[in-house]
Amino acid sequence: MPEATTAPAASMIAVEALRKSLRTGSTTVDILKGIDFTIAPGEFVAIMGASGSGKSTLLGLLAGLDNPTSGNVSLNGVAISYLAEDKLAQLRGRTIGFVFQSYQLIPTLTALENVLLPYELNDESGDRKAGLTRARDLLTSVGLSARMDHYPVQLSGGEQQRVALARAFILRPPIVLADEPTGNLDTANGQHILDLLLSLNSREGTTLVLVTHDPALAAHASRRIVLRDGLVISDERTQAS
Amino acid sequence: MPSLSYNTAARIASRELRSSPGKFTFVVLSVAIGVAALTGVRGFSASFRSMLTLRARSIMAGDLSARTSQVPSASQQAALAQIAKEGTAATQVTEFSSMASSPTSLDPLLVSIKAVDPAEYPFYGSVDLAPTQPIAQALTPTTVAVGDDLLIRLHLKLGDSLKLGNAVYRITATVINEPDRLGGSFAAGPRVLMSDAALDRAGLMAFGSRASRRYLFKMPQSKPGQASSDQAVAALKARLETLFPEALITDYREANPALTRGLDNATGLLSLMSLVALVLGAVGVAMAMRSHLQQRLDSIAIMKSLGARSGHVIRIYVIQTLLLGLAGGLLGVLLGLGVQLVFPLFIGKLLGITPGFHVDLNATAIGLGAGLLTTLLFTLPPLLDIRNVRPILILRRAVEVSDDPFTTRLFRKLRASVAQIGAMALILAGLIFLATRVSDSAQIGWLFAAGLVIILLVLLGMSWLTLRLLRLFLSRTRLGLPSVLRHGLANLYRPGNPSAALLAALGLGVMQIMTVYFVQQAVVRELSVSIANNIPNIFLVDIATAEVEPIRKLLLAQPEVHGQPELIPVVGGRLTAINGKADDRPATDTGSDRPRQRLTRLRNVNLTWAPDPAAPPPGAQVVQGKWWTAQQAADGATHPILAIEQTVATRLRVHPGDTLTFGVQDTTFTATIAAIYVSDSQHTYSRAEYVLPEPELRNLSVIWYGGVHCDPAQTTALERTLYAAYPTVTVINVAATLEVIRQVILQITYVIQFLAGFSIFAGIVILASSIAGTRYRRIREVVVLKTLGATRPRIAAIFSIEFAVLGLIAATVGVIFANIVSRLVLTRALKIDYHFQPGLTLFALGLTALLTIAAGWLASHRILGQKPLEVLREE
Repeated sequence: MPEATTAPAASMIAVEALRKSLRTGSTTVDILKGIDFTIAPGEFVAIMGASGSGKSTLLGLLAGLDNPTSGNVSLNGVAISYLAEDKLAQLRGRTIGFVFQSYQLIPTLTALENVLLPYELNDESGDRKAGLTRARDLLTSVGLSARMDHYPVQLSGGEQQRVALARAFILRPPIVLADEPTGNLDTANGQHILDLLLSLNSREGTTLVLVTHDPALAAHASRRIVLRDGLVISDERTQAS
Repeated sequence: MPSLSYNTAARIASRELRSSPGKFTFVVLSVAIGVAALTGVRGFSASFRSMLTLRARSIMAGDLSARTSQVPSASQQAALAQIAKEGTAATQVTEFSSMASSPTSLDPLLVSIKAVDPAEYPFYGSVDLAPTQPIAQALTPTTVAVGDDLLIRLHLKLGDSLKLGNAVYRITATVINEPDRLGGSFAAGPRVLMSDAALDRAGLMAFGSRASRRYLFKMPQSKPGQASSDQAVAALKARLETLFPEALITDYREANPALTRGLDNATGLLSLMSLVALVLGAVGVAMAMRSHLQQRLDSIAIMKSLGARSGHVIRIYVIQTLLLGLAGGLLGVLLGLGVQLVFPLFIGKLLGITPGFHVDLNATAIGLGAGLLTTLLFTLPPLLDIRNVRPILILRRAVEVSDDPFTTRLFRKLRASVAQIGAMALILAGLIFLATRVSDSAQIGWLFAAGLVIILLVLLGMSWLTLRLLRLFLSRTRLGLPSVLRHGLANLYRPGNPSAALLAALGLGVMQIMTVYFVQQAVVRELSVSIANNIPNIFLVDIATAEVEPIRKLLLAQPEVHGQPELIPVVGGRLTAINGKADDRPATDTGSDRPRQRLTRLRNVNLTWAPDPAAPPPGAQVVQGKWWTAQQAADGATHPILAIEQTVATRLRVHPGDTLTFGVQDTTFTATIAAIYVSDSQHTYSRAEYVLPEPELRNLSVIWYGGVHCDPAQTTALERTLYAAYPTVTVINVAATLEVIRQVILQITYVIQFLAGFSIFAGIVILASSIAGTRYRRIREVVVLKTLGATRPRIAAIFSIEFAVLGLIAATVGVIFANIVSRLVLTRALKIDYHFQPGLTLFALGLTALLTIAAGWLASHRILGQKPLEVLREE
């Protein structure tokens, strides 16, 4: 297994010749066929493409949730693709905040506990009080000060996604990855979540990677990378609206 | 390195438990029922066994008996005093024959005297006298109690005087029953029961008198109301054997072979049931936890995506497992105690006895420990699987299938499974430990664990093979099959459906349940034979050859007599040499030369012949050597041969082929041992120790003994008839003692049947919950089917086919193994015949399939009623 190498820190995310194939039975499906790009610190990038273009697979590889078939991903200068599972989890916890389409909250924890969980898993200071204060602040900033002790099942979809947003920012990660964050919400709730995401992003100064097939959502990004059949077919910087 | 605190892990674990209590009820119940069966079976059998052994002790009237014909030496007296100092009570019973007479008549009568210390004797059981009175009141230095026959023969009545030696005694009562009548000597003549003080007055025990002395011992109680343990009894027995090398030491378990066998078989069966309960509980836990963790995959993936290391997640689920194990264990212990509390009330009504309830802390601790340990051990493999949960699951559920060669895949899997293999080894070690504790035997522990592993591997292999064959069948016939059948069969291969594991678990469960049933049935059948209504309970001593046929006719004419009377010829003789080595030195009491003294003790022997010239006597079974043919028997006069009872052979240290020399009346002959046999204690012949072909004993003077079964309520009438017709024949009535044995054995059969029933019920519940645990995987499928227009009956039919196939395969594999294991347990461990029962086997097959369907339905009926949108909305 290759050792983790340190890439130039000028890029927050560096993707080199990334390939991912899945074998199902006797057939092999090439999902990503060799992708290269870098994302600078603080950049807001939208990754677009039709269903099956490889967006979610790319997101999984960027987050170190999965191993590539070949190629490499570096986060903040650290090559992550071949790190051991536990090291990867540690790095992921400190470096990346996640926002998923289907929220992915732990159903048995309250909103506050869900937000606090990454802190409890990754914080080294042992200052739980500081974590609690930050979690409460974040929940207040997403308008859930009155719903902190509610369980996910007691919250609406929009509220659950706001909890997920707060959770993504709890450790002040340098990178936030969002997978169709408004995909399960109605227009009004979707817009509200997007506004919150953008405001938190600008307030915390994070690098934001948004995976979507919605051009309206992508229009907010400063750069758009479009995938088709596992390849980048366009990578352009735009004037974000 | 940051780490998830135990507090947080415990909070997440307990929150998950509270969030869906229904789901966890299955896990808790599986553990609880396993632990309850273990605690209940162990605890109840321990308390019931101690009560039964207490009753069994009454047959000997003590824990141990030492029979000797010698007066104890000074050193032996000192050792006896030391034993008494340690808390073991001892009392002496002296038995001998003497002449008694009525002061008004000059005709003396040979009587069988038994002198006891009424303050101590009997340690267990009671002497029944008529009129009813305590033995200490009836036996004073000037009074005696006598057998009814003595009154008849000497024309006396209660209150009259009886002359024995130099003294005259008043008769205060007749002896109805002595608890140790079976263990005492069957000397000729009516019984005279007297106190040691009264015996001293008679002046009959002059130096050198040929009296048999029996020392009865009662060990201190291990707990109030409980007799001493078998280990303690065995330890004292070994000590007494060293102390009195010339004496015959027996413990209460040897007083009656049928009873001993009953208790031994019951103990063996109860150990088996405890182990089965343990493994069934473990199977339930493993299946339930596996299913539970399967449902937690999403949460685990989320936590991993948020930075949780595998160790963090494992910590959460280890805590959860421990909480579940503890809850199940505690509930199981309570249920087990409930069983111990309720069953005595039930059996008390049925049998008129009530064993005292007490909490067996040992059984409780083992139950709780076993619950926790099995939960943890059997959850280890699924817990370790957490390491393989990829966080990408939250984004993509594609299943990657490798097309590498089988060996490459196998090695890759083995490499990735080092921890799992380690966990398996740990489980095995845990099982050995538990099985050793439960069965109180390291050997059984090892054998059990090894057997279980082999059976589990074979079951897994057979399950895998069957599923492969079924799949092959399905792929060949696919579209030719009705869609319901096709869908039902295809469900067995549902991704993530642990069909092979479930089949192995079900097969193992069916095997264990059926093994318990088969073994229990065989043991109960064997016990029922031992208490059949034809065991002799009236013995006749000193019958002349001319009286044999008239007595047989007289007995058969009595309505209270059941079955054929057994009359056996006895030729008194002396054993003078073994393998040609004569022993004519006098016995000493120094204990310096044990074998010689044992031989001396066995010198006086009774020889007999069997009614069939070429077959063992009724109730005897050859264990070594071969019984003689009619031709060999006919040649007996020129080539003497004999068969010898096993315990005697053991004491004499002889084997088939060895020779014994007997001095009988005026002749001496040497016979070769042809066979060694065991007797069933249910025939008059069971008291015979040396059987020879008739021609060898022809022309010698013979005394006959007889035995017959009489209605226990009518024994006195029969005794009187016999006294009247044959006044010289001694009648010994052991009906009351045999009734105690019969009751104890009957109680053992009830206990065995109840506990087996309880184990079987527990097993069925656990297996049902294992099947039910798979229901969460079906929810999505039901929803999709409903959305596509499938009706409830159609979905139920699909599931029924799936469950029926599972049940039938599991039952087939399980029943085959149950027969193999039952045969091994019965023939090797319990020494009981095994009979294949095709009807029962087929019935078990059908019943298992039905129960599997019923359990599957029961668990799935709520899913069938689920509205599609409720589930789809949650997706």
